[in-house]
Amino acid sequence: MLSGDQSVIELREVQKKYAPDIVALEEADLTISKGEFVFLTGPSGAGKSTLLRMLYKAEEPTGGSIIIDGVDLSSLSKSQIPQLRRKVGVIFQDFKLLFNKTVFENVALSLEVLGLKKNQLSSRVRQVVEGVGLSDKLHRKVVQLSGGEQQRVAIARAVVNRPPIILADEPTGNLDRKRTTEVVALMEELNARGATILFATHDENLFTDTHRRVLRLKDGKIEEL
Amino acid sequence: MPLGIIFKRALRDIRQNLVTHVMTTIVVALTCLVFIFFSVFSLNLQRIADHFGKELAIVVYLKKDMPQDKIPSLYQKIVGMDGIESVRFVSSEEAFKRLEKYFKDEKEVLEGVDPLFLPPSFEIQIDRAVYNPGRVRSIAQKFADWPEVQKVQYGKEWVDRLESFSKAVKAAVVASAVLLLVMAAFVVSNTIKLTVYARQDEIEIMRLVGATNGFIQGPFLLASFLQGVSGSLAAIVAGLFCYEYVLNIITQTELIKSLNLQFLPPLYMLTIVLVSGIFCVAGTAMALRRFLTL
Repeated sequence: MLSGDQSVIELREVQKKYAPDIVALEEADLTISKGEFVFLTGPSGAGKSTLLRMLYKAEEPTGGSIIIDGVDLSSLSKSQIPQLRRKVGVIFQDFKLLFNKTVFENVALSLEVLGLKKNQLSSRVRQVVEGVGLSDKLHRKVVQLSGGEQQRVAIARAVVNRPPIILADEPTGNLDRKRTTEVVALMEELNARGATILFATHDENLFTDTHRRVLRLKDGKIEEL
Repeated sequence: MPLGIIFKRALRDIRQNLVTHVMTTIVVALTCLVFIFFSVFSLNLQRIADHFGKELAIVVYLKKDMPQDKIPSLYQKIVGMDGIESVRFVSSEEAFKRLEKYFKDEKEVLEGVDPLFLPPSFEIQIDRAVYNPGRVRSIAQKFADWPEVQKVQYGKEWVDRLESFSKAVKAAVVASAVLLLVMAAFVVSNTIKLTVYARQDEIEIMRLVGATNGFIQGPFLLASFLQGVSGSLAAIVAGLFCYEYVLNIITQTELIKSLNLQFLPPLYMLTIVLVSGIFCVAGTAMALRRFLTL
């Protein structure tokens, strides 16, 4: 879904180098408009995760500037970083879930950090968990769920606070074909509701038949496919 | 961030790591108990020093050739000084009578002795409300400088020893307070550090979903404050029980009873509780600063 030219993610000549001479990104330019669903592909180690990590300020670029929703990330103070991360929902390849806590507790965490009380967040959590098809497992511990179910919990947690931007880092990397299709469908549904999505994957099958924009990260450069 | 949420999270953390928290609280309690022991000892030593010190009088011996008409003005001068409770003039005759009384059956020793050979004197009691050994010395020194005075006696050695012992105990209390509180803060901060280590994944996830440092640190700081406060309260209760037990044993003698020994005053106890809580929070804040970077 495209809803105009208003860019929400913008990279201007972004560089990321690691000592001594590893180049993850070299003068990368990119503009993603509000409401776009963009695939980011490239072989393992191409720098997809590094690029995503820079977008939620878990890493700093060594050059250039990154602008998220009109804000240059280099101008953000440490105390402003939580505000950025509330705008950007992140789905991790390794899920980053609290395995000894329940589905409800994991998903509710994103709302708890906003200061919402249990009675305020309860209905929202139930609604989102139902949306990812896990309402019958709301009070199960995450460790008791399958890999696909865990990934859906991670998605629910990333979107429960309705962030305008969703970054998905290989969200289907650990899933079988059926679960992968489910996750992609879920992401498309979120996009249809207005979220801008940057979906990093090395699985070319996910976008071969799609009308979506596809970017390839190669030798530190971003190419349009 | 609403305090209610931080409080709830802190209680949940304590519940989930109950054994660690209880052990830490016990260490804080034992640390505070040692400090309370020193404090009670120092406080009561001061009471004992005051009790005996107040009994001491300054005796100002006047020159024998001093004109009698100067005595009333000297008396008025002493009475008008700060920190004087009472003044009594002892004439040469009265001093001689006291000497006769002292010798009782051996009065013949004083036969032929001039009844005026002893110098007249003033016996001065220091005001109990403002008594301290240093003050006794400074007042005595003032008298010694007067031209009419021959000699001043005030149990100098006793006062000096009492004062230096009292100072040593006070210094020990202050040193032990600092040392023990730093130790308590260190223990609590290390416990919190271990908890942070154990929950690094959770903290990382909280950071990634937009938790502020206040949201992450708040429950840890509150938990350490509760440990500091509950540990010191437990120490006060235990200290009070020990004090009552020891008091029951030693107050068999009239002398000890007359000293009117006491436990710590309420304000002192409140200070221990608050300072313990604040030190534990400060120690934890320092430990967290190194762990929680965005």
